[in-house]
Amino acid sequence: MNTGDVIVQVDGLVKDFRPGFGLRRKRVLHGISFDVHRGEVFGFIGPNGAGKTTTLKVLMGLIRASAGRATILGHDVRETAFRHHVGFLPESPYFYDFLTGREILRFYGKLAGAHDRRDRRVDELLDWVGLSHAAGLRLRNYSKGMLQRIGIAQALIHDPEVVFLDEPMTGLDPVGRKEIRDLILRLHGEGKTIFMNTHILSDVEVICDRVAIIAKGRIVHQGATLDGVVNREQPFDIAVSGLDPELAEALQTELGAVLHGRGERVEVRVREKEVDEVLQRILARGGRVRGVAPVRAALEELFLQAIESGEKTS
Amino acid sequence: MSHHFRAIAAIAINTVRDAVRNKVLYILLFFALLLIGTSFLLATLSYVERERILQDVALAAIRLFGAAIAIFIGVGLVHREIDRRTIYTILSKPVSRVDFLVGKYLGLVATLWMQLLVMAMGFVAVSWLTEAPLAAGHAIALAMTGLELAVLVAIATLFSSFATPFLAACYSVGLYVVGHVTRDLRALGALADSEGVTTLTVWLHRILPDLASFNWTIEAVHGLPLPPAEVGWAAVMGVGWCIAFLTVAAIVFDRRDFR
Repeated sequence: MNTGDVIVQVDGLVKDFRPGFGLRRKRVLHGISFDVHRGEVFGFIGPNGAGKTTTLKVLMGLIRASAGRATILGHDVRETAFRHHVGFLPESPYFYDFLTGREILRFYGKLAGAHDRRDRRVDELLDWVGLSHAAGLRLRNYSKGMLQRIGIAQALIHDPEVVFLDEPMTGLDPVGRKEIRDLILRLHGEGKTIFMNTHILSDVEVICDRVAIIAKGRIVHQGATLDGVVNREQPFDIAVSGLDPELAEALQTELGAVLHGRGERVEVRVREKEVDEVLQRILARGGRVRGVAPVRAALEELFLQAIESGEKTS
Repeated sequence: MSHHFRAIAAIAINTVRDAVRNKVLYILLFFALLLIGTSFLLATLSYVERERILQDVALAAIRLFGAAIAIFIGVGLVHREIDRRTIYTILSKPVSRVDFLVGKYLGLVATLWMQLLVMAMGFVAVSWLTEAPLAAGHAIALAMTGLELAVLVAIATLFSSFATPFLAACYSVGLYVVGHVTRDLRALGALADSEGVTTLTVWLHRILPDLASFNWTIEAVHGLPLPPAEVGWAAVMGVGWCIAFLTVAAIVFDRRDFR
């Protein structure tokens, strides 16, 4: 991967806050580092108070880092001009509620410098987020889900390359969550790079390509969503119908395979390195393979393990 | 027009739209107009110089209520944006903190000048009804009040950039009061026996805004000539104070963390 593919680069980021007027400082980010690559959905996950929003605020220039460096598209996050290429949806966003949906998007369009064909872009986005019917309604009359969608629309008003979302599903009902999840997947399909702060792991599993887990201001895990839970020792389930009983016994005694299921269809659980061999033996004995799938430890398990190991090292 | 100016204009227009929705602003405006109207009654209590008393009270009401509105809305100018977190989405766009601050400032000054225009119309109406004389001096006095309000908003913006609305209001009112007496303090200090007191009052007058220099009510009401050099110098100083307060506000605001 060449450096041009790195959209967000965070290197040794430190943030200290000074509670009250004293000289004592409280460190909330302990030199965190991670990269976000072009076109991926990056999940930045961690428990409440871990430092997710602080990191995002540093990236958005709302908080100044105490040490370290953060860049977006190669620009220092303290600059403002490059933000033509950046969209941001804060957690539980609040907008000027005396404006209508169309007026708020026109306002953000002016701020973002999206002057050319702005009105057409506003209409396109209202349609895209499913709010065309509410374009003339003042925002004080919007539901939380509608506000979240208008928030995504304002983040996209200038057609940015990278979009930052802070807890986009928080506080939404299941329908609202699905709507936002679908919008994020559509954005991903359009090639946008997406950075998402969240603690809802089921959404991470569905949406994210890679994750970084933060706990107590430290990155305790980063990589592809399944990294760390899939390896050569991890089990796979092979769904088989018509498995020869002799072969079943041989697999259990020779390879330590575990068989589940009743009747015609069984699932044979083996280690990944043995999958090819077992498949060949099943097919040779007239068995029919219905599916092969890794046994995924839930992301929640990975998350808890990472948090636990992070707490031990901190 | 560069992107900066467009962004500043968009923020200023939005600030006007937001400010004109503030009910307290209308309450203050109502009482200002009420006082301007009742200046007519106050004038009837006097047997001499009724028109001058009327205009004196009306112009004082405009200055007082203008200052109250400037401070009341000015101190919440930035704090409300941070408290409601509307600033997050604005600063995530290619808008610098200075653009934001200047846009908010200009929006509030525009709002106050609209209020001033309404109060000035009330003043003209009362003067016209009582056949009190109206001259260019009145327009200059009102324009200088407008400039004083712009300085006051800059002061409120500075305090609003780092303090809570209550503290910012306390600081702003304090500076408003001190700004109106520094000239008198300097005059008193000159009469003092202590050289230290004299020097102190001279420096206070130099480093703090001389808000009394924007008050041309007496000259306007009594039909006295308004010396162009003095009025011009006060105007230049007014613009200078606005720039100075906004510059300090921008420096403070630029270093803030929005937690």
